Amino acid sequence: MEIAKLALRNLTRQKKRTLLLGGAVAFGLMIVTVINGFAAAFVKNVSENFANLAAGHVFVEGVEKSATGKEISIVHDDNAIMKAALEAKIPAKYITKRSSFQSTLLYAGKTAQLQVSGVDFASETFLPDRLVFKQGGIEGMDDRQGVIISEPIAKRLGVEPGDRILVQMKTYTGQQNVGEFAVAGITFDAGIFGNMSGYANKSYVNELLNLASDDYQAVGFYLPSLEGMDKYGADLRAALKEKVQVFEKNTATNENPIRAMMESSKKETWVGTKYRVFTLNDMLSQVQQIVNVLNTVSLIILIILFVIIMVGITNTFRIIMYERIREIGTMRSMGMQRGEVRNLFLFEALFLALGGAVAGLVLASIAMGIVSLVNFGLDTPLFIILKNGHMTFRVEFWRTLLDVVIVAVLTLLAAWLPAKNAAKLDPAVALRTAK
Amino acid sequence: MVIVELQNVRKVYPLGKVEVEAVKGVSFSIEKGDFISIAGPSGSGKTTILNMIGCVDRPTAGTVLIADKATKDLTDKALTTLRHETLGFIFQSFNLIPVLNVRENIEFPLLLGKSRLQKKEKEEWIDYLIEEVGLSQWKNHRSNELSGGQRQRVAIARALVTKPSIVLADEPTANLDSVTGEQILELMKKINREMQTTFIFSTHDAKIVNIADHVIRLSDGLVTENLRKGEHVTASQVGLDTAEGGRV
Repeated sequence: MEIAKLALRNLTRQKKRTLLLGGAVAFGLMIVTVINGFAAAFVKNVSENFANLAAGHVFVEGVEKSATGKEISIVHDDNAIMKAALEAKIPAKYITKRSSFQSTLLYAGKTAQLQVSGVDFASETFLPDRLVFKQGGIEGMDDRQGVIISEPIAKRLGVEPGDRILVQMKTYTGQQNVGEFAVAGITFDAGIFGNMSGYANKSYVNELLNLASDDYQAVGFYLPSLEGMDKYGADLRAALKEKVQVFEKNTATNENPIRAMMESSKKETWVGTKYRVFTLNDMLSQVQQIVNVLNTVSLIILIILFVIIMVGITNTFRIIMYERIREIGTMRSMGMQRGEVRNLFLFEALFLALGGAVAGLVLASIAMGIVSLVNFGLDTPLFIILKNGHMTFRVEFWRTLLDVVIVAVLTLLAAWLPAKNAAKLDPAVALRTAK
Repeated sequence: MVIVELQNVRKVYPLGKVEVEAVKGVSFSIEKGDFISIAGPSGSGKTTILNMIGCVDRPTAGTVLIADKATKDLTDKALTTLRHETLGFIFQSFNLIPVLNVRENIEFPLLLGKSRLQKKEKEEWIDYLIEEVGLSQWKNHRSNELSGGQRQRVAIARALVTKPSIVLADEPTANLDSVTGEQILELMKKINREMQTTFIFSTHDAKIVNIADHVIRLSDGLVTENLRKGEHVTASQVGLDTAEGGRV
């Protein structure tokens, strides 16, 4: 411990040099912590925002196969699903039952593509609160043919609330169909996913799809949080499997689980309705891949930055060794063992790394705090990665600890060679060396 | 009782492609409690011999015995332990650790290796040494706040703190004015008398030679004089001119 105390004091000898080296360590860790904080919050924000767009965290979709081999998405009777949800103890805040179709909107010779979700506004009471209207409003949905579209779609078509637009789509069996929507509201630009989505009354969507008014295509369970989503999904699948036909989830490959289920269903034949159970995580597995890439990039940045910093630390410790060569000789003559000399330098490097790491984390907290104060608004294309218009960061304890350990290990490695050379110094040579 | 013995010791240093023989077969012994001066001009091999007695250097040939232990047979770790337990060092340029204050500098050797003293005993011993070297008022000051004489007093206390049998002093008065140098010598002589600590000096200083009870004169890596206690030793006898400030 006394060696450690001396090492700590040695760092105060050349304050500017210590500040510079510690500052370099702090800067490296700050950058990496900010990137990691962003990546961790990115997946959470995207998941939460996507949960709002997809209306749930755990989903069940009914699939039938027609005589021609075409897959039809439909849920006629959801008794089995609801019983299974009870058995799986799904803590659903809301349950959404939606039908949807991909359509082309036409107005005054202009066209736009739109994914239309049929919503039962009477039961999905949370949805109006989440939509930010630029023009019109939810009251426009009292019109059975009302539709809510995003600002870019409205601009492309040149429509305003009250305008009536033509919609081209296919029925659930694949027949071409045409209907008419009345623009009820125009929402702010809600990012790439929000832009492509619109909301209409489920009864009218079902009519266009040629579904019965009580039918729908997918049920979504809104959970209180993102945690436990996959477990609830697995529990629901297991419970549902005992009652009806359920598609297996292939977990063996790296492929998107939903795509894997769809691919396997193409090869299968069945009678009646078979169900796909999937979660938001399954839908966003590519987002997780992006996060994995970000984490890998931040780790590479950390290593590159620290390789540069290590060169500086190695050179500085070589200079320090030369500056203190007499002192090393003196301490060796007084009975300091080689290992203690080495440890003295290594302790200095460790304190430098830990001091720099603490400073880096403080700087990262300040930087993240400042950025998170900036309000990007709700109408930004960045919407999907923001939380209520603010960029958020999530510092994960174990990841941060790993970064600090990496910094400490790299700093110790950088100081290792000069420390070893200092320990190897012949005391007589050290004592007669003139600085 | 012989505490240090050199038997036909040679030391050769490589200097580029050539080899320099700094010590050319030196033999002598030192009794416990001696106040011995190794005198001679620059390059005569004083410091080399002191380093070999101090176990910071090993002889190329011959044997150095410290308290009956042949240093050439010892590992680096064992030599370091021997230095810590048996030897104290005083350097010409004091060699204090600048980030430590007076008390901490004196205490430092006790923090190395296994301490033979209990905490209370250690505190009292350090206080006693600080008192002995007259630095009670300065114990919390760092070395850059002290005069040369005060720094050398700290170095003396530091050399004595492990209660070594032998203290090696390499030109201890060379960086001090004559008055301070005399005070330092008196202090070391007093400690030598009271603690029976063997003091071995390498020196140019005639004053040290005059108060030494054993003088070894070197020239060109060889012993030219070896005058023991009881014999009349003066600076002029060992070839040192005292006419101007006692220095050659």
